[in-house]
Amino acid sequence: MPDAVKSVEFDVLRYRPEQEDVPAWQRYAVPYSHDMSVLQALQHIKDELDGSLSFRWSCRMAICGSCGMMVNGKPALSCQTFVRDLLPGPIRIEALAHFPIERDLVVGVDGFVKKLEGIKPYLIPKEPRTLAQGEYLQTPEELEQIEQFSSCINCMLCYAACPQFGLNAEFTGPGVLALLHRYNADSRDGGRAQRMDVLNAEEGVWSCTAVGYCSEVCPKQVDPANAVNQNKVNSAKDYFLRFLSPKGARR
Amino acid sequence: MDVFKADVAIVGAGGAGLRAAIEVAESHPGLSVALISKVYPMRSHTVAAEGGAAAVTQAHDSLEEHFHDTVAGGDWLCEQDVVDYFVAHAHEEMVQIEHWGCPWSRTADGHANVRAFGGMKIERTWFAADKSGFHMLHTLFQTSIKYPSIRRFDEHFCVDLVVDDGRVRGVVAIDIASGEFRLIEAKAVIIATGGAGRVFRENTNGGIVTGDGMALAYRHGVPLRDMEFMQYHPTCMPGTGLLFTEACRGEGGFLLNKDGYRYLRDYGLGPATPTPRNKAMELGPRDRLSQAYWHEKQKGRTIDGPHGAVVHLDLRHLGEKKLRERLPQIYELAVQYLGVDPARAPIPVLPAVHYTMGGITADIRTAAPLPGLYSVGECSSVGIHGANRLGSNSLTELLVFGKVAGIEAARDAVSTPHGNPSALAALADAARARVLAAVAPRVDGERIATLRREMAQSMEDGCGIYRSAATMQATCDKLAELKQRHRRVRVDDTSNGWNTERLLAIELGYQLDVAQAIVHSALQRKESRGSHQRLDGYEQRDDVNYLQHSLAYYQGADAPRIDYGPVKITRSPPGIRAYGEAGEHYDAVAHAEEAARA
Amino acid sequence: MSRKAYLRPMEGWWRRDPFFVRYMVREATAVAVLVYTIVLTVGVVRLSQGEAAWNGWLQAMRSPGSLVLHAVLLVSMFVHAKSWFEIMPKTMPMIVIGGKRLAASTITRSGWAAAVVASIVLLSLAGWWRP
Repeated sequence: MPDAVKSVEFDVLRYRPEQEDVPAWQRYAVPYSHDMSVLQALQHIKDELDGSLSFRWSCRMAICGSCGMMVNGKPALSCQTFVRDLLPGPIRIEALAHFPIERDLVVGVDGFVKKLEGIKPYLIPKEPRTLAQGEYLQTPEELEQIEQFSSCINCMLCYAACPQFGLNAEFTGPGVLALLHRYNADSRDGGRAQRMDVLNAEEGVWSCTAVGYCSEVCPKQVDPANAVNQNKVNSAKDYFLRFLSPKGARR
Repeated sequence: MDVFKADVAIVGAGGAGLRAAIEVAESHPGLSVALISKVYPMRSHTVAAEGGAAAVTQAHDSLEEHFHDTVAGGDWLCEQDVVDYFVAHAHEEMVQIEHWGCPWSRTADGHANVRAFGGMKIERTWFAADKSGFHMLHTLFQTSIKYPSIRRFDEHFCVDLVVDDGRVRGVVAIDIASGEFRLIEAKAVIIATGGAGRVFRENTNGGIVTGDGMALAYRHGVPLRDMEFMQYHPTCMPGTGLLFTEACRGEGGFLLNKDGYRYLRDYGLGPATPTPRNKAMELGPRDRLSQAYWHEKQKGRTIDGPHGAVVHLDLRHLGEKKLRERLPQIYELAVQYLGVDPARAPIPVLPAVHYTMGGITADIRTAAPLPGLYSVGECSSVGIHGANRLGSNSLTELLVFGKVAGIEAARDAVSTPHGNPSALAALADAARARVLAAVAPRVDGERIATLRREMAQSMEDGCGIYRSAATMQATCDKLAELKQRHRRVRVDDTSNGWNTERLLAIELGYQLDVAQAIVHSALQRKESRGSHQRLDGYEQRDDVNYLQHSLAYYQGADAPRIDYGPVKITRSPPGIRAYGEAGEHYDAVAHAEEAARA
Repeated sequence: MSRKAYLRPMEGWWRRDPFFVRYMVREATAVAVLVYTIVLTVGVVRLSQGEAAWNGWLQAMRSPGSLVLHAVLLVSMFVHAKSWFEIMPKTMPMIVIGGKRLAASTITRSGWAAAVVASIVLLSLAGWWRP
């Protein structure tokens, strides 16, 4: 099937801190084919037109989480966003929103990684078990409770969607709170009490105002809005229980 | 140059690197670990693995069966003592990662479930939906956060090993964000940088799988072993090469030619049963399936598509419900990238390069011939896979040998003093100067992409599923030419910070070196075995002359020198690789003979 | 760690995407709830102040300005209810009944059903009860 469209224009927000003080738009014309992704267009620009364009990518199949960016103002994975759905162009490409731009389409993500490290994102077993005793038992129903929340690829599109994070970079944010919930909800885990401080904090669930855009843009249907908002109930319960019991709600 | 002193340095933070780091931290909490990766750990290509990890689990399974499947699958080029160790320690590693939280798929009563996989006689592949590698990687990364002794150097690109006084004593890496070079001294170094599939045109690999660690060890005199054995995965997406997991076939998918015929029965894999039968038809080993595709293409029985000749992966009979439950990622991949609904239409697929069986020579302790150096995972050749890897053996390898590498490197570090700081600093400065000179910005010269495309096309032509001397020689010549042209490669980017073009130029250098090792090893192996198949008079396996490992030695600008080393055969002498009904018959006879001998 | 990383301003963020505009409208309807609460509170106070005050308040409620206000408030209440029922499933944990997950749409429809039933009950009471 011959393509009537031959070439598509891309406006890319460039930023080279060693050469300039502010980002500026640059336009490129890219040859079009029906099945090309935005990532493939960017690769063409880098390969053939301008080797100085920097962006993160790897797997090309929406599982590594590297290639998040703003495509026509919406958070998207460039490897899974197809140019045919964005015609006729020009298509605007910008670094992921709400993050500081380090260079071109590369944003600074160590804030996110630090938050992820800070929630005890690992199994704290309810009961000890030796290797010789084999695996913990977990029914398919129990696994279903954590399946979607464990599917987060750390792409940070939800952070680009979240205006509360945009307004306050201290907000723990949808992705990390979804991961926190994943561990709390794991039938094998007994570390809920150790993670309450993060949930209860002002920058925890209480910075969320249920905008819900995070769940809309999530490429893996993790539904972080659900993870955060159902934990408001848990956080409130914890708060009240601490008044009732001298030792608080901690186990 | 910034200097960091660690006890153990690990280059690569995928499944193997993370497992090794955790093991050092667990077994020797007083040792400091520098975990260095050119990407954040969760981006490592382990994340894309789908099918699962093999470990003997069911009561009617045995270590002997897993051993035999692996050794036969590898066409007897495996180190049999290593395979014995591997199969014996697989199950405990599956349990270990489950204890760390890995969300394995379960049976109704809560135990870990296992599924059938290519070349495996009995179901033993543990799986987490169809995202096993993703779940394993995230579990390992998140678990590694528990250990304060692991210091990560995220987005640090390794450019050289520091070798002084006959021993590896650290690495030099570029902090990608700033462009600054860093010396990370270590008493033992583990390389876990993954495979080199990107040297081929069509591949399942992510952009980062460029053979970095292999090239680094190779350039310091460590032989790369069995590099000619590159695995073509039979069911990949046309155009992008993205993977459709073997689990599609484990769940019962069919491979059909243009006549809707299950053609694998014509290649010694039959008979065709309506439900999957282990080691038969679509559950045969990957090399056989890819070879069958090639033959179908020669006979004109494949289907022409916009990205080449394809066959059909038919999953319709599984039904939408089962597909969405057991193969959800595959479903999305087919719909989003190809516009194909697998419940209603067959998926066009073709073979693409997927896995590098060969790599850095490693003994059963993961040690390289160079003191202080260890290697683990796809970048290493520890001896499990031989001439062809069975699906779901490599995810297990990451854990079993990741642990071994961690323990061995830690033990080595404990009994080794730090190197001489000024000597190491001088070596690091020299490395930095060399790298910067090689990839200095210039506006003359050729674009990186031009050289990379020519390399990848040449590798596809010369080192495809079937090979012959003429095309392999043409590839040897082409690579020599490309290495010359690479010396004047063009780099537009003049910045220091986030200069990814500079990194691509360095990576291309790694790829060209590794590609040379592959094609020269292939040219010299005058037989057909496993995934190395020839059409030029060497169509048979030759156990007299070639029951040996190839060893490629770096010779700088010249072609590599290829030597040979013995294969450790303990109790399984080379036999016939038989699959399908013929295989079952052969196995029964072999077992009877063994029983009679006992 | 940033060498001169560039921070983009958040000014006018809610105008950048229709999703955010709808969110701000949802938030604004809370103001409508507040306004109507005040209206009703005034009514209760007037009721306690005797018949004359009560009739004066009813009169005011029937004025054209008041009718326009009530029309606006009614639409706002409707948008308020709609947007909150849409977000309600996000606030609830996963509920599995007989092996099947309770869908978000079911929760939303239950919210509407409760609202409709409550409205019918109230309107019936209002219609039936005469002082």
